[in-house]
Amino acid sequence: MKLILKIALGIIAAVGGFLDIGDLVFNTQAGALYRYDLLWAVLLGTIGIAVYAEMSGRVAAVNQRPVFDVIRMRLGFGPGLIALIASSLVNVLTVAAELGGLAIVLQLLFDAPFSLFVVLAVIGLVIAVALLPFGGIERLFGYGGLLMLVFVVTAIHQQPDWGAVAHGFVPSLSDSKLYLYFVVGVFAAALMPYEVHFYSSGAVEEGWTKDNLKENRLNAIIGYALGGTLACALVIVSGYLFHPLGVEPNDLGTVALPAQGAFGETGLLLALGGMMFCVGGAAIDASFAAAYNLAQFLGWEWGRYRGPKKAPRFTLSWLVFLFLAMLIVLSGINPVEITEYSVVFAVVALPMTYLPILLIAGDRSFMGEHVNGWFSRLLGWAYFAVIVVLAVAAIPLLLMTNGGGG
Amino acid sequence: MSGGDEIFLAHRLLDEQILDSEGRRCGRVDDIELKGTPPRVTALLVGEGLYPRRLPRRLARLARRLTGPERWGANTLRIPWQEVDRIEAAVHLRGKAEELGLGEGDDPGRWMVRRLPWN
Repeated sequence: MKLILKIALGIIAAVGGFLDIGDLVFNTQAGALYRYDLLWAVLLGTIGIAVYAEMSGRVAAVNQRPVFDVIRMRLGFGPGLIALIASSLVNVLTVAAELGGLAIVLQLLFDAPFSLFVVLAVIGLVIAVALLPFGGIERLFGYGGLLMLVFVVTAIHQQPDWGAVAHGFVPSLSDSKLYLYFVVGVFAAALMPYEVHFYSSGAVEEGWTKDNLKENRLNAIIGYALGGTLACALVIVSGYLFHPLGVEPNDLGTVALPAQGAFGETGLLLALGGMMFCVGGAAIDASFAAAYNLAQFLGWEWGRYRGPKKAPRFTLSWLVFLFLAMLIVLSGINPVEITEYSVVFAVVALPMTYLPILLIAGDRSFMGEHVNGWFSRLLGWAYFAVIVVLAVAAIPLLLMTNGGGG
Repeated sequence: MSGGDEIFLAHRLLDEQILDSEGRRCGRVDDIELKGTPPRVTALLVGEGLYPRRLPRRLARLARRLTGPERWGANTLRIPWQEVDRIEAAVHLRGKAEELGLGEGDDPGRWMVRRLPWN
């Protein structure tokens, strides 16, 4: 019974840590532009994050080594430093995007200026982190994020052409650069590296050992399956409602409209509430990820479980990253644009943090009997190939399509 | 060090996390001191003063501006091999970090740390 409860909590945390502003923006736009055609890219990205998270969770449980511990060990100081700088930039940009998203959602609920909500969002997150223990933070945003299930209910309620939906899961490429840009975007939004930095460090925060390997596997499979279902629902509801109308959703408010169309004001409030918890949780995850990475790379004391007194440099760097992100949003750049950049740059930086995990998870001298089996190895390397191709293609596509502007 | 199994220095010792006797994280193995013939590990070297050594020459110059030159006992510490208790998923030391001068950046007595609002 206790195990079931623990697994349920872990899964909720996985769901909460999966959907974020990147999925909201890219999946809704993908649905509006290409109806159900990009569902396969959502599925591909979701399996990717499950593979990556399972490996890094396993490494953390067996070795107590989170991602940037592994990177320092496997890449050494110089190349590891490049991975650290790239990841920090991407993570701060991601936090900025999430904060912007949080402020926009708040602005839809209450009437006040954008910049005020950005500052309030930061203060709210700092208070939540100061008051709650690590597990409490995960649970608050995980449970809240489950409000996003309203999008799954909306998708079913809309009664779309399920044959066409199923057909969307068959991979298809086209020579349209915009389509390819969205393939990269939807895939990358599902596979944001901060999720894995946070997940593996969280495993250490919660004192995982080899006894937690089953939990780790179930989190990766069931948690990300649920997260992927929510991500697919975003594409489906948008494809059903916006594609025939030719609407191109350029702001976050549009994301919630399908739920309002199906269930009126209740639907709208549930959707906005779910978005708020998802984006808020992601802001915490991504800012923690930035601080975890720095502290792990340099060998500092780190972790929410140590508390600010025992890990002052870690806590201070978390606040600094959050503050920098706040400055980026307050500079007036459109949060949707920040989101697109954060997602595209994330996939460019991804191979540097993915490869060391793949190498250590396959290294018997580190992992003993829990080393990658043939299936994990095959899947791991196949995804590495996919990630490298997308990382190379991402920036040219971003420039050629003018950031998805066509 | 107990255990006695062979390890590859660059693979398993260099860059490894260091924990003190109370499990406090207090730095990483930034370099290794070897002496004698055949060479033996005589000490672990720890501290930000060593970062420039680990970078290509041009970047090293830039890094040295940030870290300052290597000052032994300050930003560059020598941990004699006798202080190493065992090597598992991290390097475990026999003594406490503060006795060896490690992890000072997280030390509540330091002025910068003392001024943080939660201390």
